[in-house]
Amino acid sequence: MSDRLVQILEGNTFVVSDDCGDIEASRTDPTGLFSFDTRFLSRWVLTVNGQRLTALSTDDLQYFQTRFFLVPGTGTVYVDSTLSVIRQREVSDGFREQLRVLNHQNDPVDLTIRIDAGSDFADLFEVKDALKKKGSYQAQVVAGKSLVLGYRRETYARETWISATAPAAVDETGLSFRVTVPPHGEWSTELDVVVSQGAFDGAKEAPIGISGQGRRQVRGDMARGLEKWLQRAPGVECDWEAVERIYRRCMTDLAALRFSTLTMPDRALPAAGLPWFMTIFGRDSIFTSLQALPFTAELASTTLHALAERQGTRIDDFRDEDPGRILHEMRYGEMTAFEERPHSPYYGNADATALYVVLLDEYERWTGDTKLVRDLEHAARAALNWIDEYADLQGNGYVSYQRRNPKTGLENQCWKDSWDSISYKNGDLPGFPRATCELQGYAYDAKVRGARLARQVWKDQALAERLEKEAADLKRRFNRDFWVPDGEYFAVALDGDGRQVDSLTSNIGHLLWSGIVEKSKARAVARHLLGPRLFSGWGVRTLAEGEARYNPIGYHVGTVWPFDNSFIAWGLRKYGFKKEAARVAEGILGAAQFFDGCLPEAFGGYPRQMTKYPVQYPTACSPQAWSTGAPLLLLRAILGMEPVGDNLVVDPALPISVGWLELLDIPGRWGRIDAFGRGHIDTSRQYSSRG
Amino acid sequence: MVTARIRSAAAPEDPINQFFADLTQPGHLETFESESASLRFEVPNGGRAERWYVTIHDGDVAVARQGGPTDAIVTTDRPVLEAMVSGRLNAHAALLRGLVTCRGSMAALMAFQRCLPGPPGSTGQVAPISSQTVMAQHDVRQRRSM
Repeated sequence: MSDRLVQILEGNTFVVSDDCGDIEASRTDPTGLFSFDTRFLSRWVLTVNGQRLTALSTDDLQYFQTRFFLVPGTGTVYVDSTLSVIRQREVSDGFREQLRVLNHQNDPVDLTIRIDAGSDFADLFEVKDALKKKGSYQAQVVAGKSLVLGYRRETYARETWISATAPAAVDETGLSFRVTVPPHGEWSTELDVVVSQGAFDGAKEAPIGISGQGRRQVRGDMARGLEKWLQRAPGVECDWEAVERIYRRCMTDLAALRFSTLTMPDRALPAAGLPWFMTIFGRDSIFTSLQALPFTAELASTTLHALAERQGTRIDDFRDEDPGRILHEMRYGEMTAFEERPHSPYYGNADATALYVVLLDEYERWTGDTKLVRDLEHAARAALNWIDEYADLQGNGYVSYQRRNPKTGLENQCWKDSWDSISYKNGDLPGFPRATCELQGYAYDAKVRGARLARQVWKDQALAERLEKEAADLKRRFNRDFWVPDGEYFAVALDGDGRQVDSLTSNIGHLLWSGIVEKSKARAVARHLLGPRLFSGWGVRTLAEGEARYNPIGYHVGTVWPFDNSFIAWGLRKYGFKKEAARVAEGILGAAQFFDGCLPEAFGGYPRQMTKYPVQYPTACSPQAWSTGAPLLLLRAILGMEPVGDNLVVDPALPISVGWLELLDIPGRWGRIDAFGRGHIDTSRQYSSRG
Repeated sequence: MVTARIRSAAAPEDPINQFFADLTQPGHLETFESESASLRFEVPNGGRAERWYVTIHDGDVAVARQGGPTDAIVTTDRPVLEAMVSGRLNAHAALLRGLVTCRGSMAALMAFQRCLPGPPGSTGQVAPISSQTVMAQHDVRQRRSM
């Protein structure tokens, strides 16, 4: 049997099965039907007369809909196909599966068709870390027609309801159908799986599902919703045909990653990624919303609302929560419920709070929606206050991080959040607190943008002046304290003693984006970014070749992250490095071609000349929201699109390989506008590190 | 302080009444600015239920023991509500665990939980960790693949 996984999803409900549509999950295997971070089906196996099936083909009809063409038997040489089986599955609050069995013979055929079903109700954290369950299981047949799988631990209860439209013999491990299919005829049924957060309270009917919405309506809306979503998005026409394909794929994947919270069921924000990250992440949702702004502003406005609703208000060491802090990650599973994990929500990041203000300002610059800026004034002020009041752990005027939850909190609270991501040149790891450089850039940008909002929307002149003064002071100190004079770049961090953590990293690209780099230092930074130690030919590596921990397939220590590169390209453009931005864009868009337009979160940092194709990072998950958003931001960067007052300024600088590029009906405060550019930048030449 | 005396005089032995009394003492909470929500908290107590009606309007908070329809009805046990208002139990976790049920607007409950205190004992402080300690904590074999 093939091990290919098929993923269909809607909101935070998704199915991962094999190419026959079957699910046979082991404890640590991310297959199954998942909803709200809980596995509701770990076994879902179809047999015909006791035989498993073989896949002829599998089609993803829509992101929430898959069709499997199957024949009985698992023979490897020859399949006797007098029967065909078609399974078509759609995800909503659980899933609905249409099962059709076609008889191709001249005689009727008697069949026993069976679905075996079971669930381990694992929390995603348990699947990830192979942990044991603490509650008890129950399976029962309700009203002779529904199989209800249940799990209970104290007051925590979850259920999976399974039923079929055709008459079935239901037992505690599945549903059986004894049928006679006429010659050249067909038998079919619809299997309905509903997930529920309920208890065995004697209910006779399947519940309406966790989200509480009518299921059929949800499904109809999904098909229409996707169509509308794609129609509303700007059109892309490009000489380099791959760009059109990549763009369409990005917008479709972004649609699939849309996530509705329980408090705002009608609105969507970007979840971070499939399969592990179908939830709100402060950082990921903000970065993705920023990337997508020229194409859809809806994600940004929902993200800003949802994060404000859950903004920190108290000191909570277990959750690393402070007043004003923007959340890191929200979860709904059993371990969160029992406070065995702090994700209710967890606040352990040091960047999302400043980035929140950045997104709010950028959103207003594109949309002119001052009402939202007024509505969220308190949240933005609290975020700005957090930077000075709670993030300056060392009292040195820099944003630092150190977890207060040593057991289940995050050690590195910046986007490079793996344990070894921040190191000195010699490979040693710094102590805590750590003040990484990009955090200072974000804080600077938040103050500059906060000042603009204070002056123009909140009409608070005094706040605007104070923030501008603080920003200027931060920039001056930063350029003095973080600059590594020998290497001519910015140190990745200051350690707990205020000493430079001196390795060369992609983080310096984010500094350009934030605007914290003094003009006199920008050229040296750009040179490093496109120089041989950081630039692989596909993109900028997270850590430079030559640093002790450099590893081309190390998660944050040598791989190339498309999202990282998209912000680097934007940063390069901000400082006028058009050619360099075009080069980064060409590399990442070129890589996207190899992944059918669906960029993974990271790929190998091997030199482009060596591998000729981008090598996917082994465990990267996909689609990942900020990788999906990367090509969108790259298009913005190479077209040089910048809202200025009520106008959109377009200043294209395209790589020759792009030919011409047209972006049609870009929405914003100007209404709708087109942008057009012709490629004239030769990106094939090696960037001279001396030049 | 005068306000503290008044509060403790209101219901010295009951943390729930104390909590709601404290809420209305400032009467205005910044975190609720541009926020509007109304909730009814209901705690079954033998035959009749204890009720608190909380109204939030652009930062102003009012609590009453009687009232009309609200955006959300939050039902729970006394020990659970006591644990929540004293910071010992997180509201989101309680909801996921089935200790609290919310009918109506989840957004109202989400807004309300912002005024709940943090866990007792949380200080916001943590001792710095040296580079040597960090290095020792992590598997040294993995470092510098040399």
